[in-house]
Amino acid sequence: MKREVTKRVKITAKGSKNRKETRELTLMSLPAIIWYGLFCYLPLFGIFFAFKHFTPRPGESLFKNLFINSPWAGLSNFSFLLRSSDMPGIIFNTLFYNIIFLAAGIVIPVFLAIFLVELHGKHLSGLVQMVTVLPYFLSYVIVGYCVYGFLATDEGQINHLLKMFGSNAIQWYQSPGYWRFILIITEIWKSTGYSMVIFLCAITAIDRTLYESAMLDGARFMERVRHITIPLLRPTISTIFILRIGSILSSDFGLFYQVPLDSNSLQSVTQTLDVYVYKALMQQANFSYSAAASFLQSVVGCILLVGANLIIKRIDEDSSLG
Amino acid sequence: MNKSLHITLIILITAVVLTGCGKDKSGDSEDITELRWVTYDTGNTHLDAREIIEAANEVSKEKIGVTVDLEFQSLEKINLMMASGEYYDMVFTSSWINPYDKNASLGLYYDITDLVKEETPILYDSIGKYWECAKVNGRVYAVPVLKDMGAEDMFRLNSDYFEKEKGMVIPERMEFSDIEPFLKAYKEDNPEKYPLAMDKSGLPGYINFLERVVDPIIVIPYDQGEDVQAIPFWECKELMDRYRLLHKWYQAGYIHPDAATIESTVADKSFPVRGGVAWKGYQGYSNPADWGFNVKTSIYDGPYLSRTSEQGSMIGICAACDRERATACLKYIELLSTDRRFRDILGYGVEGKHFEYLDNGTVYRLPAGTDRYLTRLYQTGSVVNASVETTDLNLPADPDQWKDVFEEYDNNGIYSKATGFAYDPGAKEDIITTLTAIYSDYAAELCTGTSDPDTVIPKIRERMEKAGINEVIIDINNQLDKWKKEQK
Repeated sequence: MKREVTKRVKITAKGSKNRKETRELTLMSLPAIIWYGLFCYLPLFGIFFAFKHFTPRPGESLFKNLFINSPWAGLSNFSFLLRSSDMPGIIFNTLFYNIIFLAAGIVIPVFLAIFLVELHGKHLSGLVQMVTVLPYFLSYVIVGYCVYGFLATDEGQINHLLKMFGSNAIQWYQSPGYWRFILIITEIWKSTGYSMVIFLCAITAIDRTLYESAMLDGARFMERVRHITIPLLRPTISTIFILRIGSILSSDFGLFYQVPLDSNSLQSVTQTLDVYVYKALMQQANFSYSAAASFLQSVVGCILLVGANLIIKRIDEDSSLG
Repeated sequence: MNKSLHITLIILITAVVLTGCGKDKSGDSEDITELRWVTYDTGNTHLDAREIIEAANEVSKEKIGVTVDLEFQSLEKINLMMASGEYYDMVFTSSWINPYDKNASLGLYYDITDLVKEETPILYDSIGKYWECAKVNGRVYAVPVLKDMGAEDMFRLNSDYFEKEKGMVIPERMEFSDIEPFLKAYKEDNPEKYPLAMDKSGLPGYINFLERVVDPIIVIPYDQGEDVQAIPFWECKELMDRYRLLHKWYQAGYIHPDAATIESTVADKSFPVRGGVAWKGYQGYSNPADWGFNVKTSIYDGPYLSRTSEQGSMIGICAACDRERATACLKYIELLSTDRRFRDILGYGVEGKHFEYLDNGTVYRLPAGTDRYLTRLYQTGSVVNASVETTDLNLPADPDQWKDVFEEYDNNGIYSKATGFAYDPGAKEDIITTLTAIYSDYAAELCTGTSDPDTVIPKIRERMEKAGINEVIIDINNQLDKWKKEQK
């Protein structure tokens, strides 16, 4: 392993001398660079919204309105986040779901991918892939109505079944107890297939001869998985882990707002930071407040991302980013 | 990164910045002022808007030398436009969309207090006492659109069923609770169905009998006598009784069990009882072709006139306009408020294509009108000056309907005593934002009757008090006292 690393460093050092080669490579990445420049770096000035008491004047440019016409507000834009007494609950929900999604979003797809590779029938494997990936392309608005089709009090399929077996209908949208599971199941159902494809690619990239020699040595399936597949998947897993942990304070708005249909009774289990910010600011159109909220999310996300990367670097330098 | 990359980046960024700044207005030709007028898009169809605006411009060009470029924009777009300082000449502003009080106190609109008296005296006189609702610190920043200024809340009932089949009598006025026997009768006949149409925003207008300072959390009731004070909504007994009644109806099965999560009930035409907000004599609810049965309305509230209700639709002029352009705006609004034939173009479309005049002077929409241009009158200026619409040819509307409506306001209207008062939230905005978020945790289930107000209200109260609602109420009442003193 160590030798490989030094070899890689040498190659890049050599490459930087060769200008022609890098120029071509840079040109190839130009679309991505432009995209990042336009959509990630250029809008960075928007951070100022979070620290300004934004008072626009009509007919003047956004920049003038933001930098000259608006007075500084210090940290006062952040105070509305602290005003709400249920902020601890909201933060708990955000972290709770994200940690579960983070774990389930890696463990389940990895195992599915491992088993799928072992399937010898090509058609069946293709079918399984297609069926699991399909939900990823559905919008949460549609998913929300599909879920409603199952859970509606009067016309829902589940209540029909319950009534058929003689039990009482459940008012799902008024019973918060079930919703932690419903949300987790929905999210896993929707996202598993897509992450599975990433791991599937990583597994197919593993040298088959490793498995063959292991098989000759008498390694059984589980042993091959433990000693070959998982160790070689580690860099992919940690990359995905690092990328996901950066958005731990953000949540999929669609999942937490559209799927429970914004039902009041379910707030205690469905309200995450994004949902709260949306509900607090939807009517007011206060850009400074929303900028403050998303700035806070980004800062916490950034700290977690860098922190996770550092820890991973300690454990296994090869799997870390940068 | 190498040099060429740097250069490409710099070129790109400057290009973006330059295109952003390099907007310039095209010069006016032959002294004709073209105004950019942005109005609220209610979601109704306006496919033929281009053609209709052209037709209106032909007339206004000749009469006052002003044309408009009318745009229908969504709430989000208008908010963004106001916040980013985009240029416009006239904009839709109100108590419910693009908040007038907030924007006017921020100085986003042109101060027309004196200009409207000097340049357009006819317009000034026509608005009369309704200028009061546009006053912020004694100055006027927008023209109120004359429409149904008071809120009259009504039930819309299937009269074929209730009167012909059941032999019940639908009175012209009733109390809120009087609807119960109707609901009960229908439920007994159709135990599987729900008689009262209800979606997550509740019965339309059920809270109109209160003036809302912080909508709908801090309210000013109408019947307070001389000492007007703002109170939290839970202190209003009448409202609490309504919530209790709704909860009772919910439990009795008059309201759909999932009402609190239903987005809209418009598509389901079978409900025999619906709520509505309109005015006496309004026909828009009663077209049997729309519903498949005859509809009779019965008013249970109002007319209540308050700052909130009178600010239903207003036209604000951009603060960045110069005096000349602001005058052009006012002249255009004046033309809309005085010239009936001209007003009907933007309201109903092109005569002969989108609508036709009936013998009694009312307007009847033709198929092209209902399919391709079905906007609400208040979106495009004075409602009172537009011709009245007849929806059912067998039942022509009264062309002088508005005279009756305004007489009713003058004689029987219930007026808020704080119409000229605008609350400036200032440093309390973060509390209000929090209160709004807290309220939205309960709103849908409270107004649909899903939750029991006697268990939920104490929870709301506790959370709101923790968030600092009392600070806001004290602040409002201080400002209100100051305003009252200035009035004397």
